[in-house]
Amino acid sequence: MLIKEELCIGCGQCVIICPVHAISLVNEIAIINKEKCVECYVCHRDADCPTRAIKSERLKWPRIIRNPFSSVVATHKLTGIPGRGTEEMKTNDITNRYKHGEIGFSIEIGRPGVSTFLKNIELFTARLSKVGVIYEKESPVTAIIIDEEGHINPELKEERVLSAIIEFKISENKLNKVLQVIRDVDKIIDTVFTVGVVTRVAGDNSIPVINLLEKEGFNVQPNAKINLGLGKI
Amino acid sequence: MLLTCLAKGFNRENIESRKKLIKIAEIFNQNNPVNIIPKFTWKVSPVITAVYDNINAIKEVVRKLKREDFGISIVISGIISEIRDIMNEMSLNMHTVHLSLGIFGKKELLPSEQQILEITTMCGHHCISTQSIEHYINLIREGKMSIEKAAQNLAKPCVCGIFNTSRAIEILNELKK
Repeated sequence: MLIKEELCIGCGQCVIICPVHAISLVNEIAIINKEKCVECYVCHRDADCPTRAIKSERLKWPRIIRNPFSSVVATHKLTGIPGRGTEEMKTNDITNRYKHGEIGFSIEIGRPGVSTFLKNIELFTARLSKVGVIYEKESPVTAIIIDEEGHINPELKEERVLSAIIEFKISENKLNKVLQVIRDVDKIIDTVFTVGVVTRVAGDNSIPVINLLEKEGFNVQPNAKINLGLGKI
Repeated sequence: MLLTCLAKGFNRENIESRKKLIKIAEIFNQNNPVNIIPKFTWKVSPVITAVYDNINAIKEVVRKLKREDFGISIVISGIISEIRDIMNEMSLNMHTVHLSLGIFGKKELLPSEQQILEITTMCGHHCISTQSIEHYINLIREGKMSIEKAAQNLAKPCVCGIFNTSRAIEILNELKK
């Protein structure tokens, strides 16, 4: 993203709307901090710039990777779905992606609203790969993991994005090992992250994994996303 | 929040499924959502979302969807116990759940006021800035903008249509004090 200085009248609309505080007014002209900008295009789309001074630019590799990890309207070529994640459990009644006895995880790094360098992915994936997790094939994060040790493409490590979601699943007997990875990274990471846990619901509408998570000291939030099972092939 | 989604490789590429998705979107829209993904996206987006501010509206939508039996995936985002009550009342079995374990890491980087975080996180892709909330609170305090207009403006970057404007109005009312 760039701002044409000669068109900018310093109204500050773009400064207000930027989700990552990457735009500031210097001598009444809006300036984008290119290191902080995650190429989410929110300013371009929603700032209502009165002089249309905000322009999209042709991004080069590796900076171009920032856009699909940051813009909600960018559709990643791998997933074919707008946004950073996959369908995950939303269509599980049709895809059977998560079966009974399996637990899915979605770890979203940089969320909520802080952003992250892509190198932070490796803090998790280097550890998770040792546990033997099964990464979601269609996740944009999986696409940048280059080896079985969980390393990511080194060219991308210094790229900053609004958030990146690591999606994977495990068999139930590996739950404690994954929870330990979360505890370990929690202590060393320089940004925030959220953790989602996906599981099949028992026939009586109970969710047994909640007890397992709480026993390990994790705080399961009262709200959740629930697939109603109305989908059919 | 209610959501319907087509499954890649199963029904996403099917024209009949797209027609059903649009019918589901119409049912979402007929039951007074406080926000819904823009209509022009219904023909192209694999996901349709709608937000409601009362449980009865959600119950009514689920009742209609069960009756119509479209065979398209439906997801509710909300309080687990409330969703379980709806499912039990309608003799439905929950299929899969996505639980949240909350926020980890360097939490000192988050906004200090919980209410501001509550508004920014209404947009699942986090396109709403903290400084825009502060800006609109100032305009409200100065009498230059109504709370309703501020909530509408805050919802604008959330293109998925999951921003809860009713709840935002409540929070802005608290914050203006």
